[in-house]
Amino acid sequence: MKPNFLKRYKQQLPLQLMVIPGVIFMIIFTYIPIYGIVVAFKSFSVTDTISSAPWVGLNNFKIAFSDPFFWSAVRNTLAISFLKLLIGFTAPILLAILIFELKAGLFKRSVQTISYLPHFLSWIVVGGMLTSWLSTTGLLNSFLMTIGILDEPRNFLVEAQSYWMIAVLSDVWKSVGWGTIIYLATMASIDPTYYEAAKIDGATKLQQIWHITLPLMSFIIALMFVLAVGGLLGSNLDQTLVLINPLNASRAEVIDSYVYKIGLVQGDFSYATAVGLAISIISLILVIITHKITKKLNNRSIF
Amino acid sequence: MRKNVMGFMSIVGFVMISGCSSSGAEVSIDDLEEARYEIDPNTPAWQVDDEENVELTWYVNAEWFDRAYGEDVITKKLKEDLNLDITFITGDDSNLNTLFSGGDLPDLITIFDGQSQAALRAPTWALPLRELADHYDPYFHQVAQEQTLDWYQLEDGYTYGYPSYSNTIDDYQADIIPGSDAFIIREDIYEALGEPDLSTPEQFITSLQQMKEAFPDVVPFAFRGFGSDGDVGSIGDTFQNHLGVPIADENGDWYNRNLDDSYLDWIRTFNEAYQLGLISDDNFSDDNTVFEEKVERGQYGSVFASGIAQLSGSLQTNVARDPDQRYIAVDGPKNPNGNEPTLNQAGLSGWTVTYITNKVSDPQKAIQLFTYLLSDEGQYLTTFGVEGETFEFNENGKAVLHEEVLQMRNDNPEEYKKSYRLGEFWFFGHDGFALEHGENEASIAVDQIQKWTKGKLKPQFLIENINPDQGTAEARSLVNINSTWATTLASMIRAKDDAEFDRLLGEYETFLETNNFAAVEAIRNEKMNENRERLGL
Repeated sequence: MKPNFLKRYKQQLPLQLMVIPGVIFMIIFTYIPIYGIVVAFKSFSVTDTISSAPWVGLNNFKIAFSDPFFWSAVRNTLAISFLKLLIGFTAPILLAILIFELKAGLFKRSVQTISYLPHFLSWIVVGGMLTSWLSTTGLLNSFLMTIGILDEPRNFLVEAQSYWMIAVLSDVWKSVGWGTIIYLATMASIDPTYYEAAKIDGATKLQQIWHITLPLMSFIIALMFVLAVGGLLGSNLDQTLVLINPLNASRAEVIDSYVYKIGLVQGDFSYATAVGLAISIISLILVIITHKITKKLNNRSIF
Repeated sequence: MRKNVMGFMSIVGFVMISGCSSSGAEVSIDDLEEARYEIDPNTPAWQVDDEENVELTWYVNAEWFDRAYGEDVITKKLKEDLNLDITFITGDDSNLNTLFSGGDLPDLITIFDGQSQAALRAPTWALPLRELADHYDPYFHQVAQEQTLDWYQLEDGYTYGYPSYSNTIDDYQADIIPGSDAFIIREDIYEALGEPDLSTPEQFITSLQQMKEAFPDVVPFAFRGFGSDGDVGSIGDTFQNHLGVPIADENGDWYNRNLDDSYLDWIRTFNEAYQLGLISDDNFSDDNTVFEEKVERGQYGSVFASGIAQLSGSLQTNVARDPDQRYIAVDGPKNPNGNEPTLNQAGLSGWTVTYITNKVSDPQKAIQLFTYLLSDEGQYLTTFGVEGETFEFNENGKAVLHEEVLQMRNDNPEEYKKSYRLGEFWFFGHDGFALEHGENEASIAVDQIQKWTKGKLKPQFLIENINPDQGTAEARSLVNINSTWATTLASMIRAKDDAEFDRLLGEYETFLETNNFAAVEAIRNEKMNENRERLGL
């Protein structure tokens, strides 16, 4: 075993060397900080060093699990993320197929560029735009009143029940174009002779998409799906921080913003780390489960 | 395989632990070396210390702070007088935490919360100021405010930090601190409505309705918006101060001002105003920037404003845009019980707090810097600049800024900030200094408003810093209670009818009971008693 391993290593030496900087980077910036997790089991304040803070066992987790605001944040995170997964995951696939079917030309390029654009705006900017569009004097109200759907202007951001939809749709608007890139790249690599053969056999456009495009993309779709599931419990922070207000907070507070509020704003680092750690463990379990399922469905393993 | 993982993890652990151990020698007050000059209680040590080219590193926990040194009027003079070079580092809370946990502290640290855990644990990382002054610069005792030093004294009997804008009881009594909250209304509208009385709920509603008819483009009434983490803008304690709601009950115990009847009556009035379309929903979702833009454009008919100093830029822009639309302060809503306004301003705690750390490379120079900035030299320098260069003393002995300085303040605020930095080097600033020692033309945008606040300020030292310490169970309850109050208050203003208003209020009271508010209250009472002791009340 061993000589074999060394022999193979030697053969691959240039490739192995290329990997080393990446591995070092990972060790320094992602593995070493793992040590900080012990803060979750300690009572830590800023002037302590990590090693000097007293141990408190699972106390921080107990507090988190008995806090109704924590559970409300979990509920909101799950609801928003599942809706994002449902709509935000399928939308780029559909858009990519539509763009792919367009004849190459100015129109196709414009559609692509316009759909990418929002991705480059930060949530701070998008948040400002949304606050103004959704306000009583904003774009949406003027539009809805002109076509007669509304009589009185309404500010949608202060209505808690609309928040989940606002969060999901604004996120889809922002990310859909960017999300198409990887699918378009995959589609571009499909051998055109498949389509020519299908056309000769009399397949309609929909049949071509169903029997050629989608099956050949399934591997990438599965990969993207596993990655998306891993992010289910996080990553709503920027959006929440710019859109939250006291009236929609009951629906808008997500785990990340809650951790931010407790940890950074209130300086309760141990508690915030405990919440963060719990969430990371749940996310890891979700990724493993999804990976198992997609492997079963696809017969191919991503890892 | 498993062995490898374990081995790897132990290496990681080892690297971490060794990386975390602190470095650099600590100074303690007992082993300070002798001063390199003769100390004299009546001469500031910076005048006799001829040590050249000392360098200090100063961490400021504000990313927006301008790190330049030695280029503008203020820091150039500072550098000359003290033979001192300062390297500023700025950052946010996470940088501050990294500094502390790394143990590699700079010479000076400025933070923004004198009640934070870092501040309460100052004995582990900072040097006591009075003792340091005794050792190197006794003149410090002549320029530092005794009350402020007492206020910042920790349980071990030492004072480690010194705040900016710390106002003593004497400052309040001398009536030199400008107030910062007022009910303001657009002058042209106020006159067009015949300068109405807005003191009772009925008159308030009627006048706003008339305003809505005569000026359909403006939002009749607004307030500084809410924040998501329990900040209720200007309609919370700022408005309670305006109504003169007491800060303690008859027994001297902590008083829940949010549930005060006279206050809630006015919130009911605001609810009625909301139902009549006199308050916009946008008020609850607009952030501060949008709020300030609307003030700039004069889009609000009347505003219950807080933080006039921060709002002064917007008010100035508004006046420059259209002088007729200037906002002026009027008496506005009055307490039905006849209480007079008791406006608040920064108390003894002040704003930022600056510390000398126990890793300081030159403790002598560090305390000299404190003394210098707190003395008249430093105060004149940071407020008016250098005599002959930026200001002159007039026949009354007051500082008058040069014409070109004032002009640049109005025409080119950016350049003014960069080359003069007046008022921007605020580490040991005082609210009343500019007013007391200078005679300069007041900005027309805020002059009338600040005059209105005159005589209405009452210290609230008793209820300063009375919240539970960070990281405790009570502090966590209070976070939840505050955000629930923000939601409740906003919902009460937007309530459909009286029944909904009462239901929301009832729900909030129940929330207080089920979320350990009694414990928070107990801590507040305890801390109020400590405050009484400190203040000698």
